[in-house]
Amino acid sequence: MVFIFGVNFNENKLVKKALESFYALGPQTSARILAKYSIHPRAKMGTLQPKTLTALTAELSTMTIESEARKIVQDNIKRLRDIGTYRGRRHAMGLPVRGQRTRNQIATARKLNKVERRG
Amino acid sequence: MSAPNCLRCLVRPSAGIPVASVPRARAPLANLAPITAARSAPFSTTAANAKAKASSQKEAASARGGKKLQLGKFKKKDRTADKGRPPLPGERKAYRKRITLSNDNAIPVPWLTDLGPTDLAASENVAKVKSLPEELQDQLRASEAFKPTQRWGMFRKPAVLVRKETVDLANQMQDSANKKQMLRLVVTGDKVAGKSMMVLQAMAHAFLNDWIVIHLPEAQDLTTACTEYAPIPGTDPVQYMQPVYVLKLIQALRRANEKVLSKTYTTQAHPQLPQNIGANTPLLTLANLAKEPDNAWAVFQALWNELTAKGANRPPVLLSLDGLAHAMRLSDYRSPAFELIHSHDLSLLRLFANTLGGGVQFPGGGAVVAATSRNNAPRAPSMELALAQREAEQRLRAANNNNNSAPGDIEVPQKDPFFRGYDERVEAVLRSVQVLRVGGLDKLEARALMEYWAASGMLRATVDERTVTEKWALAGNGVVGEMERASLMTMRV
Repeated sequence: MVFIFGVNFNENKLVKKALESFYALGPQTSARILAKYSIHPRAKMGTLQPKTLTALTAELSTMTIESEARKIVQDNIKRLRDIGTYRGRRHAMGLPVRGQRTRNQIATARKLNKVERRG
Repeated sequence: MSAPNCLRCLVRPSAGIPVASVPRARAPLANLAPITAARSAPFSTTAANAKAKASSQKEAASARGGKKLQLGKFKKKDRTADKGRPPLPGERKAYRKRITLSNDNAIPVPWLTDLGPTDLAASENVAKVKSLPEELQDQLRASEAFKPTQRWGMFRKPAVLVRKETVDLANQMQDSANKKQMLRLVVTGDKVAGKSMMVLQAMAHAFLNDWIVIHLPEAQDLTTACTEYAPIPGTDPVQYMQPVYVLKLIQALRRANEKVLSKTYTTQAHPQLPQNIGANTPLLTLANLAKEPDNAWAVFQALWNELTAKGANRPPVLLSLDGLAHAMRLSDYRSPAFELIHSHDLSLLRLFANTLGGGVQFPGGGAVVAATSRNNAPRAPSMELALAQREAEQRLRAANNNNNSAPGDIEVPQKDPFFRGYDERVEAVLRSVQVLRVGGLDKLEARALMEYWAASGMLRATVDERTVTEKWALAGNGVVGEMERASLMTMRV
């Protein structure tokens, strides 16, 4: 088991996949991080040196990922609601924001459109 | 009206219980439970069998017994039963890549003789099949010269056909070794024409004559970003080492060249290595130092410096590589600045490219042989152009030497001025190499090969003029892999 950024990963997991498991860290960013630390794209977690692991953790701690990134999204929604926009109200009601019909098929909106949005 | 089956428990009442006569609520449970056991027809043996089985399973499995309604089409039990053990990680690949060198069911060929040190360079051996001696097999296997796509597993023992090109190549190698120069040569040709086999024969010649052989079995292993890499500190422009691959290479090198390396000694001390190797230590000891990827590159560099040390008494060295196109393009690795790394900035391939371009001299002479591949090759326009140019120049030179054919109809191909994909570094490397084109076999060689196949019992036909010509023509004028397909791979037994 290998730790990056306080998360435990299996040794057989690809480093790329492990990085992309963090919120707000996608394929583009992960490819750049891999290149920065000279890790080949098919490397597995078990092959990384302890030095590289600490460097990765340090790198990730400088980035806005996970709860910070979620906070940004939530703040944006909150701002919309506080200034009383239509979008803000729709978020607060858990309804579609961008003019979709609400007769049926609004499961995604119910799931995601909240003021305290999860992800 | 009552249903014929008990709806509550789906147990089919046997003929023994008149369903209507027993009020269901009052019927004691004992009447229902042992239906199959006690009340079945007296002439049936099923009940007795069922009872025996049930008692062995301790009655725990089914309290109700009887026939159950099977809702699914397939039985669940069977689906789980024949799954077996899943293959371990890497097991399937190992099976796919395994190399079998002998077949006990094939007939031993009585007239087959082992290769000797001078056999591959002797022109009287053209169109003869020769087998590889045991020791050579081990050496070739250690350096991964055999490929899973080749048909070694069909015959009693591995054997090769000596071709005109083989003798030509072996003679050139021998000449350059005698003059202590480097032969720089690229083997090219059509699909399945025997390019990799030509490299194998060059290696066989080298091993038999006590050369040191460094073989990179697939250039794609180095450039498709499958193995670890790290920048080498203090290099400008930055070069990258591939420690895990280099470790594997050193170990293969040590196993294959054990005898020669133990007789070759270092000329200088290597204080930069932690083990502090002094002068006059066998190179084998140096090679043995590489135990972990961490120090593999340092050890390889020390070995390389020893092999190229000026004025030292060294055996000739053969450096060979298969799949040249992969080594002549941008690799899939990225630099820290997220730019693609050129293959020639990967230090191992840089050494190879330098040697192929003429930048490295081995003190004992030797050869660099690279083979192109037609199956697994990315586009490398500069390489294709350079090889075509070198080949045309060679033909032009030969025509001028002979003075009897008109050189005017040979044209050296030129660069396309409107194409941007050329690579200057590749052109620089291939500016002065020799090109050996491997074409089809001639009829004599084809006949020798087919006679060997027939003697091994793998070709069930009389080998006469007609069959040879037929297979030769079927195989696009003797392309050897196609001949194999036409005669060995058709299971017309």
